[in-house]
Amino acid sequence: MPVKSNYVANATPLFSILSPGQCEEILFAAEEVLERTGVTVHDEEARDILKKAGCWLDGIRVRIPSAVVDRALNSVPKRVTLCNSRTGSRDVLLEGNNAYFGTGSDTPFTIDPYTGQRKRSTKQSVSWACKVIDALPNLDFVMSLGIVQDVPLLISDRHQFEAQVLNTGKPIVTTAHDIYGFADIIEMCEIIAGGEEELRRNPFMTLYAEPISPLQHAWEAASKLVLAARKGLPVVYTPCVMAGGTVPATMAGVLTNGLAESLSGLVINQATREGSPFIMGGVFTIMDMSSTIFSYGSPEFNLLMSALADMAHYLKLPMFGTAGCSDACVVDEQAGIEAALSIAMTALSGPNLNHDVGYIEYGSTSSLEYLTINNDVIGMARRLVRGIKVNDETLALDLIDKVGPGGHFLAEDHTMKYFKTETYYPELINRQRYDAWKEDGAKTLFQRANEKVKDIIENYQPEPLPADVQQKIRAVVERAEQKVR
Amino acid sequence: MSNYFEDLAKSVIAGQQERVKELTRQALDAGTDPVEIINQGLIAGMNVVGARFKVGQMFVPEVLMSARAMNGGMDLVKPLLVGQELPSAGKVVLGTVKGDLHDIGKNLVGMMLESAGFTVVNLGVDAGPDKFLQAIKEHKPGVIGMSALLTTTMLSMKDTIEVLKEEGLRNKVKVIVGGAPISQDFAEEIGADGFAPDAASATDLCKKLLA
Repeated sequence: MPVKSNYVANATPLFSILSPGQCEEILFAAEEVLERTGVTVHDEEARDILKKAGCWLDGIRVRIPSAVVDRALNSVPKRVTLCNSRTGSRDVLLEGNNAYFGTGSDTPFTIDPYTGQRKRSTKQSVSWACKVIDALPNLDFVMSLGIVQDVPLLISDRHQFEAQVLNTGKPIVTTAHDIYGFADIIEMCEIIAGGEEELRRNPFMTLYAEPISPLQHAWEAASKLVLAARKGLPVVYTPCVMAGGTVPATMAGVLTNGLAESLSGLVINQATREGSPFIMGGVFTIMDMSSTIFSYGSPEFNLLMSALADMAHYLKLPMFGTAGCSDACVVDEQAGIEAALSIAMTALSGPNLNHDVGYIEYGSTSSLEYLTINNDVIGMARRLVRGIKVNDETLALDLIDKVGPGGHFLAEDHTMKYFKTETYYPELINRQRYDAWKEDGAKTLFQRANEKVKDIIENYQPEPLPADVQQKIRAVVERAEQKVR
Repeated sequence: MSNYFEDLAKSVIAGQQERVKELTRQALDAGTDPVEIINQGLIAGMNVVGARFKVGQMFVPEVLMSARAMNGGMDLVKPLLVGQELPSAGKVVLGTVKGDLHDIGKNLVGMMLESAGFTVVNLGVDAGPDKFLQAIKEHKPGVIGMSALLTTTMLSMKDTIEVLKEEGLRNKVKVIVGGAPISQDFAEEIGADGFAPDAASATDLCKKLLA
């Protein structure tokens, strides 16, 4: 056997937007924004914490010296693990280039799989969505796919969490209206985990919060960052920035401004308690200057997502990405195109916790059919990322020689051994021949997805929580209801 | 004379503020009626801009540049309108509702309204019923517009409408609402006069309500 020197193998495809030098330049630019321009923090406690950490206060305006940002970047854990709430299995390792996929949270509307109508999302629609996510193998975590709106709205976040946790064991990224809602949700999680420390050791929930672009941390957001740190629970902080609207129209300007929002959130979190788990988010996209929508399907949205992933890897921060979503108002060809592009680019770039799979209508509506179709797209993208292994076994020279010209490989042990692992078989994508497809009802991809969604809703049973745990969670929800009555 | 108007309108459409100022000065020096300059030059140009934006031929930043160019001319003409009423499409009070700091959409509505000739009073963010009430008493607008991004804060819209009823002002002003979680159904449910999904339709809605 010869030895091979200077041999380089790509275990996966290589894909990047920004070089390390460009990442450094953008980091320095964001730090300059924080030192020079600063942010507004609409929470007195967070401002006190920032002041003690060495920030400069001018009313609610806070300027952050770069050394304080660097300290936060050093103290934040480089990896976060999320667990299954039923089995305790540590399934989601947010580190390096691991890419996991899940749904999005707070759409006001959803498409009813039985009527096809766009309607306000409800506790039932959220429960159905979570069942479907729980059943789909390529979805790794859950967000509610709708705001629960058929309960008192001021405490709807508790109902939303209850609907999620009853219907799935997968890790949950949840929203809360404020720290009071967040505290109730944490209490529910502690009941399920069996205690405060148990939850901290094996978290199955992370809170989602966001600043308001440009450069503003509202009371709700800042206080959640503080509470999450005090509890030692992970928090996702996601600037939603619009190129040309809330941030510059140039892509580098978008990244700089968005990163400054993220890093200032990180500082609030780390200055409260160093070592708190923090997941950097970012839905960086354009404002479409014709319709003024916040685009979920533009090429710039994908480009910025991949660039931010490069940035997160450079900073060694776990990252919350966005993929599998669309500006299309129904699940049509456009929705398919936009999901395929974003999921493929996300899988290739490797942000860790990728949400919004199943969003249509620029994030205003969710569709379970779209989610189910994207389950296949994620599988296809993951196959792309697995790349091509080149070695003696996969080159198969002996086999090629054995079969020889004019032979076939169909009945070979080597084929039997590899055809399933080398090839990905999607579930809903059609590869039937014409006659078989016609015989089968000549169904479109959407129709097949709709049938699968209904089948899951009617026949799939997620692993239930123990009855006494369910009752205790119910009691937390009811206690919140009593307060608003 | 008509050449001034045509050039003025064209320069407004092209968003050339310096050129608009120059032409406005020339027209005034030539003794042109200020009201004519506004109506046949500046506003005429802006009307074309509005129509082009609607069909996707112009983009938001271009519309705002045109509005800025128009205002460059307006600033020169306004002081000369002694005793004459400045043409305004109407007055609108805008605000993001109580508890909510999201205002990019609301600000966009304000800018589009202004570019369509409305006078806009922008209350900023976190505007509760009292703030709207006070603004109505002070500015006597034809329309108030409330914006919210959150399902929790959108409830404040109803509170404001209730306060207007209690104060006997509900029939004196039209109420419009907008924002990501808002729908036509919600607008009707809380007793608003209209809902607009975006800035361009908010402008149309105000025109319709004040017609």
